[in-house]
Amino acid sequence: MDSDELFLRIKGILVDQFEVDAAAVTLDANLYEELEVDSIDAVDLLVQLKELTGKKISPEVFKDVRTIRDVLDALTSL
Amino acid sequence: MNTLNLAWRFVGTSLLWFFFGFIGLILSIFVFPLLYLFARDPAARQVAARNLIARAFGAFMWGGGAMRVFSFHVSGMENRDSERSQLILANHPTLIDVVMLLSVLPQVDCVIKEAVMRNPFMRASVTTANYISNREPSDLLASCVERLRTGASLLLFPEGTRSIVGRPLEFKPGAAEVAIRAGVDILPVVVDCKPRFLGKHDPWYRIPPSQPHFAVTILPPVAVDELVAGSPDDRHARYELNDALVSLFESELT
Repeated sequence: MDSDELFLRIKGILVDQFEVDAAAVTLDANLYEELEVDSIDAVDLLVQLKELTGKKISPEVFKDVRTIRDVLDALTSL
Repeated sequence: MNTLNLAWRFVGTSLLWFFFGFIGLILSIFVFPLLYLFARDPAARQVAARNLIARAFGAFMWGGGAMRVFSFHVSGMENRDSERSQLILANHPTLIDVVMLLSVLPQVDCVIKEAVMRNPFMRASVTTANYISNREPSDLLASCVERLRTGASLLLFPEGTRSIVGRPLEFKPGAAEVAIRAGVDILPVVVDCKPRFLGKHDPWYRIPPSQPHFAVTILPPVAVDELVAGSPDDRHARYELNDALVSLFESELT
């Protein structure tokens, strides 16, 4: 799965499950401050990304994740 | 007289910490390993380990009282139903809240910081007692819910860390989410300490001007739907429950 496709999947999760406004979802939007994703959603997202890609972002890396770009970087660096 | 009392409480506090470390070490080196010999069944070992921890913590609280370092009082024990699975939620004003609470609620589950899991003084006891580690954030919520569903009671501090004096109480939504997903009653436990002692950023040797009093008040259990008007499946339910819990605790903490 390339990163464009992955971005769309993440956007899908944010919009459908976390009720985030689709227009607000950009690569550099801050998940926590702008998109109002809380820690529980973030963990949910982590679990779903693991199911989707088979890659597991470590808790240490995820702690520093702020934007969707960070998520994509973390996944592609694995 | 006051200076003498203060000096004594400093000595008493030091002794208490010394014994805490010493007994912790003895238990880790000799007693917990012995449990593996005498209690082969992990479930039996867990019960024995938790009882041992409760006794040791009880001794600490008793010792502090006997040495007049602090006083300690628990009310509302009748609200705790050990036959039922309850999610015990407590505020977290001091370093020794878990000591106080486990001394009176012996068999409950709790979440242990990864650092404690690796601390040589505490590792043996917390692993034998089979407490939940917070190492994997993605597993933590599920582990908490699973324990509650299998009939255990779980103690959580929804603040996630000790309270900051002078700041409004703030709960992380994780505890509310656990309550909603597990569908168990919440047992609110209000912990208070006056004057301030062993709070966040307070070194252990900062002795308050007069003898501190720890008060633990166990409130009657509440069901999630008593605090949340809408459907508990709603994403906003955890915020609603969280706000209701914060108000409940704030009205008790004056």
